[in-house]
Amino acid sequence: MLLTIRTGMPTDVRVSGVGMTPFESDSRGSLVDLAATAAERAIADAGIDPSDVDALHFGNALAEALDESAGLANALAAALGLDGASADRIENTSATGASAFHRGVETLESGVESGDVEGGEDDTVLVVGAERMSAGDTRDVTEAISRLVHRREYAQGITLPSFGGLAAGAYLDRHDAPREALAAVAAKNHANAVDNPVAQLRKPIDVADALDSPVVAAPLRLYDCCPMSDGAAAVVLTRSDSASRSDPRVAGIASATGTHAVAERPDPLAIDSVSAAGERVFDRAGIDPDDVDVACIHDAFTVLELIELEELGFYETGTAWEATLDGETALDGDLPVNPGGGLKARGHPLGATGLSQIVELVWQLRGDLSEARRVAGAETGFAINVAGFGNNSVCTVLRA
Amino acid sequence: MTDSNIDPSAAPTRPRERDLPADRAFVCDDCGARWYYDRRRCPDCGRSSTDAATVRLETGTVVATTTVETTPPDVRAPNHLALVRFDGVQVTAQAADGDLSPGDTVRFDGSHRLRESRERTDPRLLAVDDD
Ligand SMILES: [Zn+2]
Repeated sequence: MLLTIRTGMPTDVRVSGVGMTPFESDSRGSLVDLAATAAERAIADAGIDPSDVDALHFGNALAEALDESAGLANALAAALGLDGASADRIENTSATGASAFHRGVETLESGVESGDVEGGEDDTVLVVGAERMSAGDTRDVTEAISRLVHRREYAQGITLPSFGGLAAGAYLDRHDAPREALAAVAAKNHANAVDNPVAQLRKPIDVADALDSPVVAAPLRLYDCCPMSDGAAAVVLTRSDSASRSDPRVAGIASATGTHAVAERPDPLAIDSVSAAGERVFDRAGIDPDDVDVACIHDAFTVLELIELEELGFYETGTAWEATLDGETALDGDLPVNPGGGLKARGHPLGATGLSQIVELVWQLRGDLSEARRVAGAETGFAINVAGFGNNSVCTVLRA
Repeated sequence: MTDSNIDPSAAPTRPRERDLPADRAFVCDDCGARWYYDRRRCPDCGRSSTDAATVRLETGTVVATTTVETTPPDVRAPNHLALVRFDGVQVTAQAADGDLSPGDTVRFDGSHRLRESRERTDPRLLAVDDD
């Protein structure tokens, strides 16, 4: 009976606790230690006991490629003392964190199988994402990431930054945008990270610094690209009548895949997985892009922030660069984008990134940040986490 | 009974393993549609790709270019790449040099090892003289 009633009810999944470790270039401790640290912070923030957790979803992308331990979800469940909870591991390359979050929401929407449900207690899901990219040497990590592309792309020596370079060149060329527009994205996201204690790169940079950094894949330079990172982020999701009304609600979540081979996209600046996931999430949340007060955009490369803002409908095609130069996406602009520094400056530990976006939105919506970090009066938050170079996108809308 | 759905000895069905040269695309025997990146079925009519013929790509038009300075250990640096539109397919491939621009006409030419770890050789994109 309980399940029948639930099927017809609107989603009322709330984020009742968040936690993360600082993102850094080389962390101490094992992958499971990192994950457990973030998880314990989220559990404490939610004010629950580990025994309250009905299900654990653990997002990690590269453990096998970097020869770290396997059986990660079970190891983490044991480390946290979640005996009896269901547990599994989620992998979706650079969107692993958001996919794990998506699974957590679905688990609550479908009703978790646990004694707690029968007993009428709160349904509680713990979602954790972690990555320790320092576990391998740079060569191993680069090789593991370069295998994310299509076999025939791999044969050409193509890597993800190669796609970034092609797209950036096409964007600047088609929209007659200055190279400074890309640098402005980097400078903004670095500025936002300065006051974020969990960010990896807290050094302010200006447009000139970015334009002077070494070329990675022309026209992209080093400061257009996110770093390799270690780190973990976690959230506690709750669905119950007793959940605190002040906890941010998951108003919508949606995923979509696109072409695997990037060249098969008729237009290199049109990323279908981004626009499809965006349309779905706005539809599910019943809002328009105009309603969003703060956005976390997957800026693995600066040009992606511009393309995604356009594909999602925040800006008309070919105009996000001007909006960025005009300061519209700055912390005090009309649409603050990546207030925590984004992938560019907070860092990009693959399995943790999507969850760190959720953590940032929750901090913004609850208003528990210092004035230097806060988007004033934010009530609706948006996040997009992207796998590969647009192979698979996951969008989330949170509302205060 | 030899239904492959229940025959435990049947091999998984898959397109024949074909590591095509960089200048060749697949072409559907039924409808003539072309594709470059392997798939199990024709994107247009759905015919199985197992026995799909291949076709040599002639000239194409450059859509975008980049020169990658930070490359994997077995890939040349800098690695000149171009996204090129050919008849029916779009391809990202290595270019002979860094002189290509969007709109240029190119063809595949020559014999190069695209990755040092690959035994075989492939052609690279080369500008076609318009005059
Ligand atoms: Zn066909």
